[in-house]
Amino acid sequence: MSEAEKNQERLQAVFRDIFDDESIVIHRAMTAKDIEEWDSLTHINLVVATEKEFGLRFSLAEIKALKNVGEFQDLIERKLAQKPA
Amino acid sequence: MNHHTLQQMQPGMKASFQVRITEAMLDAFESLTGDANPLHKDKAYALAAGHPDRVAFGMLTASFFSTLIGMYLPGEKALFQGADISFHAPVYPGQTLTVEGEVGHVNEAFGQVEIRARIVNEAGAKVCKALLKVGVRV
Repeated sequence: MSEAEKNQERLQAVFRDIFDDESIVIHRAMTAKDIEEWDSLTHINLVVATEKEFGLRFSLAEIKALKNVGEFQDLIERKLAQKPA
Repeated sequence: MNHHTLQQMQPGMKASFQVRITEAMLDAFESLTGDANPLHKDKAYALAAGHPDRVAFGMLTASFFSTLIGMYLPGEKALFQGADISFHAPVYPGQTLTVEGEVGHVNEAFGQVEIRARIVNEAGAKVCKALLKVGVRV
């Protein structure tokens, strides 16, 4: 399994924990419209949980620019690549 | 009252204060909430249930997390957004509790901090624990 695939599984685990739903399968085109409980508050919880899971920090501008889960995954990969070892 | 900004709220930052639980607080909580459960209201009932006195409402004890964030950490700019609370030991009137909090994760994108909080009794035993999510207004 590639690092990107492992990170996708980690992100999926975050989604499942935040929304308390083990059946969630994330995909690149997924948006808030695909999950009923994805509102402004759970959105904050999702971003915070992702920061903690990957040891990253996101700016508000970076988060607001995202259109779907795929772009979120790409942002995570970019930031992980920049992160000091 | 403190006036900490988001930038001042750093992981590891702490605050604490003490509060004495009184019979009047239990009576006021019942009046406010309508919770007239005899465990909190009737000393004879509480004794028969194995307690040394009326048992303080769990949410009365937890209400001091509001004081923690609204007055101390961060203080004025606090916006209570969430709390995951657990209760570990009963509290009785006459006890003095210490309410403690420590800043954990700081999310700058949304201006939210997580605070690991706990309340201990005079013997140092943990009576209540919480993970608080607090917005810090600009």
